[in-house]
Amino acid sequence: MSIPAAAATIPPIDRMPGWDPQWSRLLTVQSPADPAGTVRTFHIADTGPALAAMGVEVHGTILAVHGNPTWSYLWRSLMRATVDQARAGGTAWRMIAPDQLDMGFSERLPHAQMPRPETMGTADSDYRGLAARLDDLTAITDALELPGLVAAGHRLVTIGHDWGGVVSLGWAGRHAELLSGVMTLNTAVHQPEGAPIPVPLQAALAGPLLANSTVATDAFVSVTTSLASPQLSRAVRAAYHLPYTSADRRGGVGGFVADIPATADHGSHPALQEVSAGVSALGAADVPALILWGADDPVFLDRYLDDLRDRLPAARVHRYEEAGHLLVEDRDLTGPVLTWLELLDTGMLSSPGSGLPVSLPEPELRYEAHPSTTSLHLEDLESHVSAGEEDDDGTAPSGQDVPAAPAQPASSSSGRRRLWDQLEEWGAPEAYNRDATALVDMTGAASSRAIVRRKRRPVAVSWGELQEMVSAIATGLWAAGVRPGDRVSMLVPPGRDLTAALYAVLRLGAVAVVADQGLGIKGMTRAMKSARPKWIIGQTPGLTLARAQSWPGTRFSVATLGAAQRSLLNVEDSLYAMVERHRDPHRVGPVDEQGQMLPVPEEHQEAAVLFTSGSTGPAKGVVYTHGRLGHLVRRIRRTLGIEPGSSLLAGFAPFALLGPALGATSVSPDMDVTKPATLTARGLAEAAEAGQSTVLFASPAALRNVVATADELDEAGHAVLDRIRLVLSAGAPVPPSLMRQVTALVPNAQVHSPYGMTEGLLLTDIDADTVQELVHAKDAGVCVGTPIETVEVAIAPLLEDGSAEEVILDRESGWGVLGEVVVSAPHLKERYDALWYTDQQSKRDSLFGGGGRVWHRTNDVGHVDAEGRLWIEGRLQHVVSTPHGPVAPVGPEAAIDALGPVDRCAVVGVGPAGTQALVVCVEAAKPATRPEKRAGHLRDGRPKPGLAPAELATQVRAAVAPLAVSAVLVTEAIPTDIRHNSKIDRARMARWAEHVLAGGKVGHP
Amino acid sequence: MSRMGFEVELDALGTPQVFEQPEAHRVLVTGASGILGQGVARALLASGSEVVTLQRRPSGVEGAEDVRGSVADPEAVARAMDGVDTVVHVAAKVSVSGREEEFELVNVAGTQYVVEAARDAGVSRMVHISSPSVAHAGSSIVGEGAGPADPAAARGPYARTKAAGELIALSADSPSFHVLALRPHLMWGPGDMQLTDRIVQRARAGRMPVLGSGAALVDTLYTWNAVEAVLAAVTAADHTHGESLVVTNGEPRPVGELITRIAMAGGAAPPRLRLPAGVARRAGALVERAWERNLFGMRRATADGEPPLTEFLAEQLSTSHWFDQRRTREVLDWRPRVSIDEGLERVAEHYAER
Repeated sequence: MSIPAAAATIPPIDRMPGWDPQWSRLLTVQSPADPAGTVRTFHIADTGPALAAMGVEVHGTILAVHGNPTWSYLWRSLMRATVDQARAGGTAWRMIAPDQLDMGFSERLPHAQMPRPETMGTADSDYRGLAARLDDLTAITDALELPGLVAAGHRLVTIGHDWGGVVSLGWAGRHAELLSGVMTLNTAVHQPEGAPIPVPLQAALAGPLLANSTVATDAFVSVTTSLASPQLSRAVRAAYHLPYTSADRRGGVGGFVADIPATADHGSHPALQEVSAGVSALGAADVPALILWGADDPVFLDRYLDDLRDRLPAARVHRYEEAGHLLVEDRDLTGPVLTWLELLDTGMLSSPGSGLPVSLPEPELRYEAHPSTTSLHLEDLESHVSAGEEDDDGTAPSGQDVPAAPAQPASSSSGRRRLWDQLEEWGAPEAYNRDATALVDMTGAASSRAIVRRKRRPVAVSWGELQEMVSAIATGLWAAGVRPGDRVSMLVPPGRDLTAALYAVLRLGAVAVVADQGLGIKGMTRAMKSARPKWIIGQTPGLTLARAQSWPGTRFSVATLGAAQRSLLNVEDSLYAMVERHRDPHRVGPVDEQGQMLPVPEEHQEAAVLFTSGSTGPAKGVVYTHGRLGHLVRRIRRTLGIEPGSSLLAGFAPFALLGPALGATSVSPDMDVTKPATLTARGLAEAAEAGQSTVLFASPAALRNVVATADELDEAGHAVLDRIRLVLSAGAPVPPSLMRQVTALVPNAQVHSPYGMTEGLLLTDIDADTVQELVHAKDAGVCVGTPIETVEVAIAPLLEDGSAEEVILDRESGWGVLGEVVVSAPHLKERYDALWYTDQQSKRDSLFGGGGRVWHRTNDVGHVDAEGRLWIEGRLQHVVSTPHGPVAPVGPEAAIDALGPVDRCAVVGVGPAGTQALVVCVEAAKPATRPEKRAGHLRDGRPKPGLAPAELATQVRAAVAPLAVSAVLVTEAIPTDIRHNSKIDRARMARWAEHVLAGGKVGHP
Repeated sequence: MSRMGFEVELDALGTPQVFEQPEAHRVLVTGASGILGQGVARALLASGSEVVTLQRRPSGVEGAEDVRGSVADPEAVARAMDGVDTVVHVAAKVSVSGREEEFELVNVAGTQYVVEAARDAGVSRMVHISSPSVAHAGSSIVGEGAGPADPAAARGPYARTKAAGELIALSADSPSFHVLALRPHLMWGPGDMQLTDRIVQRARAGRMPVLGSGAALVDTLYTWNAVEAVLAAVTAADHTHGESLVVTNGEPRPVGELITRIAMAGGAAPPRLRLPAGVARRAGALVERAWERNLFGMRRATADGEPPLTEFLAEQLSTSHWFDQRRTREVLDWRPRVSIDEGLERVAEHYAER
């Protein structure tokens, strides 16, 4: 079948929602790909005329290239946003988006036959190959005189998608001297030798199918436009199809598919190699880059993103977990693009990372601790803080006379203590403390032989042994090829082996990736694909999962596996084998093959990626540098008073790992850390006994179970708990009643509840006495105490629509104001991983006093009371924006929960932001005695789901007065998270309430 | 009867600030025998304006100059317009059923006559009382503002003709003739016979149903708040005109809760009759048709001369209807002074005294 030539036309603008007629123009050029005298006409989307009509001065141009089978219509939202920004007086960016030849409304070339991969990119084909398309784009930019504009100070950046990513990046590689930066959405500039091409393309490329699926029918176009999630509106989808209504119009669609250089002998393979080399050169030249990526794309898999990141190491990357191939339709990209352009202009993109200062000096300004938090460690504060020794932990912990250890490796330039220093000091040969216990693992460590253990025997490890293990593993990892900066996924449960592996990874300068198994298989898989570890250290269950889910990374097992299992799980080596091979009692620290001590990583280097719990959307990777973890360890020492020589019994994941850095004996109890309620009183006492524990760290859920099983304890068990002097509980608020019960069980301990999150593990602290004191306080929410040393808390007041203001107030001026809690501290996260725009939004870089502080938006809302204490009142996205102002849910919920007939409740908003109606959803309590059967009530005496009975509604309204409650609804069960059974799924409740209050059937939330 | 309600209001609240007009007005209030028109006339008088009323029956407003006649009679309208500078056009045929021509005559032609006569008489401002039903076609309304009136989409003859009337009034808006349209939503209060007394009477007779779950969220407006909103609109029309504002108490409530509490305030037992919303809507449609043809002698069946249920009413009572009040409050500089809870107390006092 042959295809006739057809002229370029202006598209039917009345059938293109979101398009401005001013944007469409035709441009005729002579492309170097054609013989002299042959000209081609392109349909070009260009906001230049619209900007000129507004009379604004154009600052720069965004050259946007579409892929296959889209066309310039793809870029309409970015075109709209750039024009709007210019109209509002912001920086004026002109967008130029050509339709490629044979595509969109550009000229159709005559074709003698259907496209075939064998001839593409050669003289035997009359279809445009990659090299010709690069020439075409150059002809267009020349005709538009972009080189001249750039010479006159005009900025030029490119953006592309799919094949347009290849063409735009190829053009960028050829014209690096004109460029200010490059952006790309899902694309691929390199097809690795031997790697299979993505399944959907294999089908499209298969022989006769190609012409049939791409040209003869509109299958390829239809499949592409069906990939949007959520689905495109009918009108928008129809607009995408406008240029491709008949086979004559679709030659280019097949041409592009045939042009995929799937093999090295493909005619366009050399051109693709030129493109990929050009991208690498841009990366080497530090050209600013932005990669926005829809992770759920069947064609552009993560390996293509990895390839791009390798070529553009300084690129800002935002990987949208739940978006796909048509990312620009799935997500609003105008925010990220405009923000990146703004940073480009301020020169903040030239350094890697987040666009904000990479490392923070320890702040001069220090928070004057509130008496309630200082009472515990007044001596520490005096001896350290007042002496101004913040950065110098000293080689000797206060009150102890520790001789300097021999054979110390070079310390870092800052002179601060590093995470492994204490371990290497006490674990050194001849060290006085070498044989003291560093770690007790109550679960027993994995056996080197596959024996089913009948009874778990605690394993105790001395500082000397642990140091030797860590040094040996780090040496072994180096020998296996692990290098500083490499990411290493840790699929090992807490205990001796995880601790040893973690410190080896840290010391080596590799980056530990830690995702809690509580995320589930899907969540873990997402986390692994976004963090893209190069290596995995795992025990058999973790490695089996990694294999089943095709997680990336070369595998190491913990114990040495049999040959069959090694081969099945694709395991390279084992940690135990490394320890056997490289253990050396005369050496401290890891060495390379020549026996040279491996260098110590710098403080600004990445140390770990910790994943959030994922309770609000996909889990986010949080990056910590060595410097920031060092600050965290210092805070735990100073503020919580866990000094070297303490013994820390940790049933709470992140803190269980910090024992060696703190110089504290760490004890991991026999429990499943992902299920806190598996910690029993007896298990606790046994662990405390084995480790002579003085400090207990556990979540409220774990403590609740300990209290519930306290009957198990004999006298000896109680005596062990009497030795504990400090109980720390974090992860969720600790109710006053639980605080009292814990105090009774552990009578000599102070009970504290620090507040924090993955992005800032230790922010404020409150003790049991203060919690009791505040039981009858009038403040709404849960009091989390005062900020610990070096932490600054500020409030971003809420706006009418429930979002937070840009301006933030310090604790004094923000007194009593409801707002988003914003924090700053040296031990906060460095940034989010592969979530550049989320990171941008999470940061605020200006406030009172400036001083280069970086502020993190916690997404929690609350207020500060007259004593400077912070009260948390819910999550930002759960704020109800009523016409009378924003309402945070936790305060009113607590008042309603206190009512007799209420078991629990959710306060939600329905209706548009700024004028929402406040609705209370109640899960009613069963009456103590079963009442008579009543109309509108269930058998158990609770009201039927639906509208609450009048008396209940009246009680609820009175409980939260003067808040105006529009409706009180009853449901049988309020949905909560599986993990804690306490976090209410307010979003789901709000959807249910909206449905019921619109007159829908009641049903279940 | 209705007078007593407002006497209570005036005693309780005193003359509100909004009544103090910058200059003495001569105001024509059409439809002053109804509760809203009567309240507006009395409040205007209390604030020092001269008041002319136009309706077929005596207005019963002491101190007002009654012109007897229909808004559908151009001569009567012209007579009432003599010397007037402000018109508050309340008169309308308000019903959930009835013949299209009757609605046309009052709500469309009547409005046309009022507008023309006002312009001829050099009136400078007009507050046109409309209805939220002019802009919405049956589906639920969740926190929306006032959309444009749309006779083609409006449901039923009342909404259709009120929509046409509002368009006539607003299209007459000009720099010399300011027109502001108010759309009060579901007015209730002591002395209100349209909604409040019907709920009470039907609940007393055990015939007041709750449709569906009764949870549909609806906005309502306490009558006295409506009166104050109209007076605020007279002032506001000087600076803002040519648009429509939905007026409510800004306290959306589940319709089942409101009906129950109004019934109880009127001394009736809480309604127990429950109808699935879909059934009610279909039943309403049947009743409506039967009513129009007076099948089975239906029109004798109810005390108030209205059908027991219509499709429109069933829809109103089973889907949400609540509004964004921010623009209304901004323009009118008005806040409802009587909350739903206070209003219910007044209703209870009113029925207790009867």
